[in-house]
Amino acid sequence: MSIDKFMKGSVAGWMKSSGEHADIVMSTRIRLARNLRGHLFPIASNPEDAKKVDESVTNALLNSGEKGYEYMRMSEVPLLDRQILVEKHLVSPQLTDPKRNGAVILSADETISLMINEEDHIRIQCIYPGFQLENAYEHADSVDNELEDRLPYAFDEEFGYLTSCPSNTGTGLRASVMMHLPALTITKQIDRIIPAITRLGMVVRGSYGEGSEALGNIYQISNQTTLGKAEKEILADLKNVALRLIAHERRSREVLLSKSRVALENKLFRSLGIIKYARLLPTGEAARCLSDVRLGIDLDIIKDIDMSILNELMIFMQPGYLQHYAKTDLTAEERDIFRADLFRERLRVKHVEKEDTEE
Amino acid sequence: MMVCDNCKERQASVIFTQENEGVTTERHLCEKCAFQSQMFHLDPSQEPLSIQQFLSHWFGGVESMQPFQQTQEGIPDGPTCPDCGLTFKKFLDIGKFGCPTCYSTFKERLPRIFSKLHNGHTTHVGKIPVSFNELFAVKKKIEEIRAQMQQAIDAERFEDAALLRDEAKALKQRLAACQDGGGDNDVN
Ligand SMILES: [Zn+2]
Ligand SMILES: [Zn+2]
Repeated sequence: MSIDKFMKGSVAGWMKSSGEHADIVMSTRIRLARNLRGHLFPIASNPEDAKKVDESVTNALLNSGEKGYEYMRMSEVPLLDRQILVEKHLVSPQLTDPKRNGAVILSADETISLMINEEDHIRIQCIYPGFQLENAYEHADSVDNELEDRLPYAFDEEFGYLTSCPSNTGTGLRASVMMHLPALTITKQIDRIIPAITRLGMVVRGSYGEGSEALGNIYQISNQTTLGKAEKEILADLKNVALRLIAHERRSREVLLSKSRVALENKLFRSLGIIKYARLLPTGEAARCLSDVRLGIDLDIIKDIDMSILNELMIFMQPGYLQHYAKTDLTAEERDIFRADLFRERLRVKHVEKEDTEE
Repeated sequence: MMVCDNCKERQASVIFTQENEGVTTERHLCEKCAFQSQMFHLDPSQEPLSIQQFLSHWFGGVESMQPFQQTQEGIPDGPTCPDCGLTFKKFLDIGKFGCPTCYSTFKERLPRIFSKLHNGHTTHVGKIPVSFNELFAVKKKIEEIRAQMQQAIDAERFEDAALLRDEAKALKQRLAACQDGGGDNDVN
């Protein structure tokens, strides 16, 4: 079996490690919530109306002249593929509920994913690798402009873009950055920092789903306020907070290195040993070890592992991917075994091959 | 995951508690069924409850509701959205609007809610769709012309006033076309 063949074309654009501060900020995400005038929101709507919304949005985007968009109706996507779309962060778990009449339109490089009939009629989502708030926003904004040309948006002079949830009213903009903060976590500073960030009107959550523990020391920081602040302000505020976190994280890393280098090296290399040789690898342990190895690479302690391989493993360790790769359903224990096999095999490869012309 | 008590299909995300003849029943509903639920329909004979109490119920959780538990069924629904049928009461319960018209239906009550959710802010600043910019521009122009017309009348320049009146009339027609057409009208 060729692991490369599977992995190529499965990696979304944002997973490739690049961009500014890419060692700490893994990805940047922009989401715009939009609704059409004259239609009930999905929560109140019926299948016929939902279908009309779907058709208008799809026609508007596919006629926008931009090529390479792919349309998928959720009820027609096999369960496992739906799970993979969620694990790639291209659709929300809610959208995959086939009773929702949901659909998604993906750009060829998967940078843009447009969810139809999620909580709102339209959710434009743009994910970029690294720390690229402005670029990602501009891209999402341009898609928004194309749609706005052809569709009557629900907009109000006073309240702005009208959304189903009052927490999105106004700009409908949710901007977020996914950050790897192992040093702040090891030194427990994160426990003091999170409440401070929350007071600044930002939300902090763990990477895999809401309310869960921050798996692999990855945190998602996003804006809470969408009303009374212009898009530029929202982005600038989030950028400020993220830059401060980056500075804190870097300082903590330096302190760790200078005060307890051997202990740190010991921890990181042990984790490398686990992912290289383990025969059973549960999700939590895999995430923790990947985080350590990633830190090791950033600190130039671990030198023979390619960062993009780690990024891939971060994605491929998730249940949907594993089962897709295994081409069968797996029990939890089978998944842990399979995950360990996958990690061992992948870590023998030194570098990700440069992209071929096509998948 | 908890399944909705009503449709048994979707995930339950809203908990409704209902007090009936001393018996409290809890219902776990999905957003959609919660939206369509008739549980909170109004009995007009019951005593009214202030908006503030609604809000404190929504934002402050259960304790602020305690004294009203007995009469919970009687809480008035507030305005009802003509397009989706959502009552203000139910909006507070599920925390979601059912359609764009809900915003104008609940207009007076929304600033307080937005202020809580958005750090004191209640009005939008930021991007405006181009079609709405056009609408604003036309509205503003009409206001200007009306002011000029009044000046012309005051100065007894009646011919000018008549011309301005015609201009305002044309713009009003254009505005009407903009408003119900969603932009694809022949506005030129
Ligand atoms: Zn239900
Ligand atoms: Zn409504």
